[in-house]
Amino acid sequence: MRATPWICRPCLSRIARPAIRRQLRFQSSAAAAETIAPALLSRARTIALEHERLNEKLANGFDSKSAKKLGEYSVIVRALKEWEAASEAAAELTTLIHDSSTDTELRDLAADDLDATRTQLVNASQALTTSLVPIHPFAHLPCLVEIRPGAGGSEAAIFAGDLLRMYQAFCSRNSLRATLLKFENADGTTEAGVPLSEAILEIESENAYGIFRCEAGVHRVQRVPATETKGRTHTSAASVLVLPSLNENAAGEEDFENPESDYYVDPKEVRVEIMRARGAGGQHVNTTDSAVRLTHMPTMTMVSMQDSRSQPKNKEKAWKLLRSRLAQARREKREEEMVNIRRSVVGVAKMGRGDKVRTYNWGQQRVTDHRSGITVHDLDDVMQGGQTLDTVMESVRNWLMERDVEALIAEESSRK
Amino acid sequence: MPRLATSLLREAYAIHPCLPLLLRPCRDLQAARNELRWLCEHAGKVARLRRAKGRDADPKQLLKRLVQERAAGKPLQYLLGTEFFGDLEIRCQPGVLIPRQETAASVMHLTRLLRAALDLPPELRVLDLCTGTGCIPLLIADELTRCRQDVQLRLLGVDVSDKALRLAQYNLHQTQRKGRLSDTAKVAFIHADLLMEPFDVQPAQTLCLKKAMNYSRVPPFWDVFVSNPPYISPAAYWKTTTRSVRGFEPKLALVPPLPADPATDTEHGDIFYPHLLAMARDVEAKIVLLEVADLAQAGRVAEMAQNMAIFDGIEIWRDQPDQPAEERGAQPSRFPIIGQGNGRSVLCWRARGGSWLGKGPSPVSPLDDARRLWESHRVSSSFFDFKFNSRL
Ligand SMILES: C[S@@+](CC[C@H](N)C(=O)[O-])C[C@H]1O[C@@H](n2cnc3c(N)ncnc32)[C@H](O)[C@@H]1O
Repeated sequence: MRATPWICRPCLSRIARPAIRRQLRFQSSAAAAETIAPALLSRARTIALEHERLNEKLANGFDSKSAKKLGEYSVIVRALKEWEAASEAAAELTTLIHDSSTDTELRDLAADDLDATRTQLVNASQALTTSLVPIHPFAHLPCLVEIRPGAGGSEAAIFAGDLLRMYQAFCSRNSLRATLLKFENADGTTEAGVPLSEAILEIESENAYGIFRCEAGVHRVQRVPATETKGRTHTSAASVLVLPSLNENAAGEEDFENPESDYYVDPKEVRVEIMRARGAGGQHVNTTDSAVRLTHMPTMTMVSMQDSRSQPKNKEKAWKLLRSRLAQARREKREEEMVNIRRSVVGVAKMGRGDKVRTYNWGQQRVTDHRSGITVHDLDDVMQGGQTLDTVMESVRNWLMERDVEALIAEESSRK
Repeated sequence: MPRLATSLLREAYAIHPCLPLLLRPCRDLQAARNELRWLCEHAGKVARLRRAKGRDADPKQLLKRLVQERAAGKPLQYLLGTEFFGDLEIRCQPGVLIPRQETAASVMHLTRLLRAALDLPPELRVLDLCTGTGCIPLLIADELTRCRQDVQLRLLGVDVSDKALRLAQYNLHQTQRKGRLSDTAKVAFIHADLLMEPFDVQPAQTLCLKKAMNYSRVPPFWDVFVSNPPYISPAAYWKTTTRSVRGFEPKLALVPPLPADPATDTEHGDIFYPHLLAMARDVEAKIVLLEVADLAQAGRVAEMAQNMAIFDGIEIWRDQPDQPAEERGAQPSRFPIIGQGNGRSVLCWRARGGSWLGKGPSPVSPLDDARRLWESHRVSSSFFDFKFNSRL
């Protein structure tokens, strides 16, 4: 993680209590954060106490749930210990330096040490902060990236195709396994410049959701479309939806069978519609009718698949997609309550499908992400899925983490 | 045929200049776009293959030709050379009927039931009459062996068309080559005319089923009996089939031949069923699945089966037998109707067939079962004796 930018963000100063604000202001001019928000620190200390309690409990008999908790907490406890050690050392050295009775030689030595200890303290603060941020429960999963043209007619469809190729190139450069689950444009090719109506890319590698989560939202393009004769710049958009994908290999069958799981779908609640031949069917008709549509009745979530000429294959893909969509919806709903609490304090916009997240401007050859605020100028490299795209994506992931930290602080402070 | 709306044609043209042509056979935009995509992929593949052989090929030209042929009504499956039947890709060729999705749905439902059966015999024998591309036995083998390695399968397909038999043989090889056919399944195809009786004059090279089976030394008894025979009456052929079916698929596979005795149009369409049911009884089939044109024909066939008095149960399946039953103004029927869609097949079972299908054990003792088989046999053979004698 990068050093400190989050403390400069105005929204943080709004939520932080005055005492912290002063500290933060001071530090934002420095290179790095040596301290950690008191709210986070007190949370870490509470967890350390809890950790101790669990340890005792486990000494008296094994209990797998506590053992799991203990494992999770020990990372935090370790980070806390390191931070405490570093901060104590720094305090000692500072006293030594400021103590007039210290002789010059010792003071010089202490000053040298203080520099190293400061760096240690910065790292320890970072480590402690990150250890406290909950890891997204689906981060380790493969994912589905759905791309659809938004406003802007065929130019939007062409841009949607550009985005698809961008992600494909990104995946192949980073050795992530990506397959097209669904691809619809007029003529079945993947040539550049062909309008796309919908594409679903499945990225099967582990951690893919963690990597691509930051791509969800509306991507905006500003350029002169190939079809534009008067040379006017148009603004169009494509939407990207990112869903964690739970396939058999990634998470075991039980998640499909287990009614507790987000991925559980009761087959009785799903209406399966097979595009039947018109009229009499059977020997009377010979059209290729392989399309399958699934409707989850309680939520009226609909998924249709007609990519393949094989009906069973379409059905299988449709089920996969339906499971992912429902799981996402369920998770979002659960998170909504949490987000509501956080939003009231933090004002963090929920990152979802509706928000404009990034602009690709051809005229200025730049890409700006509206969340992290980063602007890069190598547009071509971004569109080719190159290193510059990594930079942009990483900035958003960091931004997301900062939001999590803010939320954590807000939660911790509102608890008192 | 109603004319296509100009606005639709214009919309299609804007997407791809070939699309309006495809709207003719497809009628709706989504279907036309799917077909265009598949044709496009196919043209690309063919062009690559030709180039690899040193011939030059322009995928754009190829696509144009394919689209024109499709617009003239040629079935997509003949153009692409294959159709998917369940999970299997089956080779198709003009002169042999293209396998239908509805047939696959019935067959898959049957195998799904059989997969769960606890008391299958060590060797399960499946007979498919009017096999065409051989798609039915191949799908049953694929679906059953995948999770029932404990059961040896023997499957036999029968057809009167040499072209169909050659294609079925080819499909068998392809399926084996792709590793989709386990060693526990043996598949064979033989030639026979199902409408020929043992006492009819047997022209050279064409035998009735019984003699053909004797000749090829296949066992006389079979457990599962499946058939998708020609079932369209001459009137329905002109009224109900689509232009592409009439123009490009073999009539031999669709409409039964003209009967010797005068018959109504409906009787003409039903010709195969009494023969098939009699054969099912003669091979002592425990499960019989016959495809039909619609609910009306299903009712008539179920009635014929009922009258033989050898079955423990008879039911009618719609296009999607795995879906919950349709709840439209439940018309009274003598037979249970399963699933959704058009009436599509008739299922009959006797002896251990009931328990294989999960319908419970037979209410009839083995002895009584043998008795009713013999009785039915006696009644019909006296009918054939009569026919035979009257010819003398
Ligand atoms: C409707 S097709 C069924 C093909 C295949 N079982 C399927 O489901 O796709 C009927 C088949 O019956 C064959 N057939 C027609 N008359 C026959 C007869 N008298 N004896 C045997 N087969 C016959 C045709 O050659 C054709 O292949």
